[in-house]
Amino acid sequence: MKALLFICSFFLTATLGLSQNTEADRLLGVWEPSNGKARVKIEKIGEKYYGKIVWLREPNDPNTGQPKVDKNNPDASLRTVPLKGYRMLKDFKFLGKDQWDSGTIYDPENGSTYKCIIKMSDNNTLDIRGYIGVEALGRTDVWKRLEVKK
Amino acid sequence: MRKLSSLLLLLVIPAWTYAQTDSTATDEEDFSMYENLDFADAGAKRFCTPKVFDLSPAKLISIGYDYQGSFGIDYGTASDSTWQSGPGNFSGAGGLRLGANIPVISKTNVVWQLGFNYARTAYSGEGETAVNPLDATLRSNGLTTTGIHTTLFKPLGEEKFIIAQGSADLNGDYYLDNFTPLQYTRYSAALIYGKKKSDRKMIGFGLARTYRVGELNYIPVMLLNWTAPNRKWGVEMLAPARAHVRKSLSARNILMFGYELEGNSYRVLRDNVNNPLGYELRRGELRFRAVWETSMYQFIWMSLQAGYRYGYSFNVDNFGSTDKEFFRGFFGDQPYAQENEFKGTWYAQLSVNLVSP
Repeated sequence: MKALLFICSFFLTATLGLSQNTEADRLLGVWEPSNGKARVKIEKIGEKYYGKIVWLREPNDPNTGQPKVDKNNPDASLRTVPLKGYRMLKDFKFLGKDQWDSGTIYDPENGSTYKCIIKMSDNNTLDIRGYIGVEALGRTDVWKRLEVKK
Repeated sequence: MRKLSSLLLLLVIPAWTYAQTDSTATDEEDFSMYENLDFADAGAKRFCTPKVFDLSPAKLISIGYDYQGSFGIDYGTASDSTWQSGPGNFSGAGGLRLGANIPVISKTNVVWQLGFNYARTAYSGEGETAVNPLDATLRSNGLTTTGIHTTLFKPLGEEKFIIAQGSADLNGDYYLDNFTPLQYTRYSAALIYGKKKSDRKMIGFGLARTYRVGELNYIPVMLLNWTAPNRKWGVEMLAPARAHVRKSLSARNILMFGYELEGNSYRVLRDNVNNPLGYELRRGELRFRAVWETSMYQFIWMSLQAGYRYGYSFNVDNFGSTDKEFFRGFFGDQPYAQENEFKGTWYAQLSVNLVSP
């Protein structure tokens, strides 16, 4: 009887975990920020979510003609890292109710990293709020989900 | 027991497999597969943003101090014979500048900001005092502005946009414990229609109701934010209010050279029993300046500006018994209650700012 109870509780926990993962993983995919200058692929590593730049409207530096690098990074050793492939969203955890938090967003335009919370307003729309200290001191950008052209 | 172990294994494997979904390695990915994508939501639209590359950062919160060197004001003949003409000398003028600009709505299809501003100018008189009541109140009370402002950026598509700005300022020779009544609020507004032609250029034209030259005016305005292809130079202009050439030393280190028109209409001598009518000081300053903006620590930036303050206007109007604002513009011939010569001097301003993401 004890074994049966254990199996049932384990099955229940695993099922709940699976459904939470399904909900949490709605974040996965390729997204376009409102400025349209980049496309970001959000993927999952372990239990956290990360977003990397996979496309740039202007992929090359007009001064050098070479692929853009993270030249504004405050860490000088990272200034030669290509922007394409750069993880600009890091360490997001699923909070529940269509929200992911505890992460950061990096702005390659100025080399700043902000605290960030992601809210999914519908299956194809994210409100990405980068902020300084408290949420009130921030800016929300709306990202749209992309898919292969039909 | 073996059955139990097998059951557990069957339950655990799918969950573990699911957790690994899309945790692909990133280093050697074929990025060309992300070129031919489109919005998953067929109804989604792209909208232009209010920024171009390397634009100087917007200030969320600003605390600063403004100081002007010694200067004089030649008070002209006044319509009221009790106001004497003659020189007034000041060893300097300065005061606190506070500002806040908070995004209330920041969406793809609309950006709405609300802000607050406070500017204090205390005048340090030199030599003989009070050749007339205006000189006396400048020395004893100085000038204060407290206001609110709002900006709405409404993109109409990927290129076209509208900017609407409005502000309400209480200006006068008051201290915060002796606030000017709200009836003396002065309202300014601007409406601009423009195009963002690329990530390097946005241009717009519109109309403004402004007090920047001291008195009420309706003037055409031009917006231009432009960054050169080499991203070292640029222009930030909302003429005629301000225009600057920008030199980007780095993403966190910016130099700008240009001018700003600063001014407003101040209700003065409100409590003077000998002058019960509505006197308004029309202060307008043209500030030619160099500005250095740099990041001190992450989002905390310092702004240091210095230059020459040209005195455009320091005339006084008397609204008379009706006590109502009127429009003179550049071509009106309504007489001033007193015409004064506001002499130029050097000035400097230092501020610490929390800048917007």
